Amino acid sequence: MPAAGNAASIVLDGRITAYTAGPVWHSALDTLAKNADRPVVVDASRLKYIDDVGIAFLFDLVRQQRPKGANVELRDLDPRFAALVAAFDPKDFAQPAKARRHVGMFEHMGRASEKVLDYVEKMVSFSEECATAARSALRIGAFRWGEVLDIATEAGANAVPIVLLIGFLMGVIIAFEIGLVAQQFGAVIFVVNGVGVAMLRELGPLMTAIVFAGRTGAAFAAQIGTQKVNEEVNAITTFGLSPVQFLVLPRLIAAMLVVPLLAVLADIVGIFGGALVMEGFGIGFVQFYHQLLGAVGAGDFVIGLVKAAVYGLAIAAIGCQRGLATGAGATSVGLSTTSAVVTSIVWIVVIDGIFTVFTS
Amino acid sequence: MGDAAPAINVSHLRMGYGERVLLDDASFDVQRSEIMVILGGSGCGKSSLMKNIIGLYKPMAGDIRIAGKSIVDTTAREKALLQRSLGVMYQSGALFGSLNVLENVRFPLDQFTTLPLDERNLTARMLLHQVEMAYAEALMPGELSGGMLKRAGIARAMALGCDILLLDEPSAGLDPITAANLDRTILTLRQSLGFTFVVVTHELQSIFTIADRAIMLDPVSRSIIAEGKPAELRDRSADRRVRQFFNREPDKGTQTSGG
Repeated sequence: MPAAGNAASIVLDGRITAYTAGPVWHSALDTLAKNADRPVVVDASRLKYIDDVGIAFLFDLVRQQRPKGANVELRDLDPRFAALVAAFDPKDFAQPAKARRHVGMFEHMGRASEKVLDYVEKMVSFSEECATAARSALRIGAFRWGEVLDIATEAGANAVPIVLLIGFLMGVIIAFEIGLVAQQFGAVIFVVNGVGVAMLRELGPLMTAIVFAGRTGAAFAAQIGTQKVNEEVNAITTFGLSPVQFLVLPRLIAAMLVVPLLAVLADIVGIFGGALVMEGFGIGFVQFYHQLLGAVGAGDFVIGLVKAAVYGLAIAAIGCQRGLATGAGATSVGLSTTSAVVTSIVWIVVIDGIFTVFTS
Repeated sequence: MGDAAPAINVSHLRMGYGERVLLDDASFDVQRSEIMVILGGSGCGKSSLMKNIIGLYKPMAGDIRIAGKSIVDTTAREKALLQRSLGVMYQSGALFGSLNVLENVRFPLDQFTTLPLDERNLTARMLLHQVEMAYAEALMPGELSGGMLKRAGIARAMALGCDILLLDEPSAGLDPITAANLDRTILTLRQSLGFTFVVVTHELQSIFTIADRAIMLDPVSRSIIAEGKPAELRDRSADRRVRQFFNREPDKGTQTSGG
């Protein structure tokens, strides 16, 4: 490169854009480094166009810290471009860009445990709020029965087809599976006992609860979450109303009423499905009926119903709590919904376990 | 106490989220029948200040009194009663999505009065008239534009006869005519019914039209950097940022060539 006086020079030509700046930038910094104690003249007279990367490049050249008498001079830069470069102050860029803060393993664990504790605390205080709201609603008789009915229709009546389908298939499947095994021992008649107990105590309520969690628990979280994001929950509060009493309580009541009803339907069609399969194994409806009466008692049925009511309460409470805990923005509604379904299903299994321990 | 107390009194308020303090040691009063505007750049805590005033957020320190009664240090029941005395319009209108416009405006009346339906409907429709929304009474919130949502939100805020109204960015995103109509509505309500308004806004024209007094928040010093009549602040404030705000000047530095 030709030097004027003792100055080194860099000549810039044509367009410097995001696609072309790389080599130019590299070689220019190279030249600067090689001529650390000589002035450097950057000849920009033939520069036609620069984009944001070009601006950053020119800015990078002039902001270099160099010894006295070894300045970088930007010569003949089009004033349109010069104004763009001059708009930035090197002082603002003296610090290196802040990297995202690295979180160590222990901090990670600590934060995760804090989150769990926080969640437990929130759930406890939420339950307390629900209890308070229920008590005060009982005292002044202010249950919103119209709302309860609406929610029960949506969450219950409209879920009947899917609950029937799944209940029926469950009955068919377990009857068939146990039947095949029992056949080898000549104990086909006892499959009736298996189907009866399994449907009434376990599968009827369980499958209903899982359908309910996916259908209605998610819907509760999404509805209340959206209302939270739209500040409707705030509006309710500033009317001096309690969001728990207003939004949560009707949903809890509706869920507690509706899930046992759905479970009864699942029980019935499940046992019917089992009876159909047993027909194929040579056990007629009448025989099935008498064997069933001997095998299951009212206790099995009632335990199933109580379970279903508790599932319903838990699913609705988790859905509503997730909804009210929604942060800002559409993404957080999605997160709340997912979390409501996952948490509900985990709790369904836990509650089932507790019931099994205490009722067998 | 009683009528002598200012409509809203904020004293030594410190507020923010988590560990982030947005405003520290802020004190100001809003007198009865005054239209007071809260100003400040984006993210300086205007809406948060409003939510502290209406008791949705708990201040980190300090006290907020509505007509002489603290909304910070009080029982849940008292707080609910105080909140009922405030009419609030949220940035998005916050109409209930499952109710139509008329039902939304009627909602507070449904909840807290024993009026028959006809009377409640009439009251709600008159409120809608006042904000020029009568034609939309049967529409659902999902069918309304931003400006319509806000106006319906104001109508609902007024439904319980609250004489202190807090409006969060009422004219943001409105066309000039609707915004001017809204300003006129606010002035009329103050003049004829003596309402007190606290308005969070950026709109300079609206500020000069309606505000008796303005306070300006600053995120850097986390304090109120100006308080006074908008026109005086524009012309005589000692603080450059305040004059800059009212005169709508950009920061120094960046300049395009050509001049």
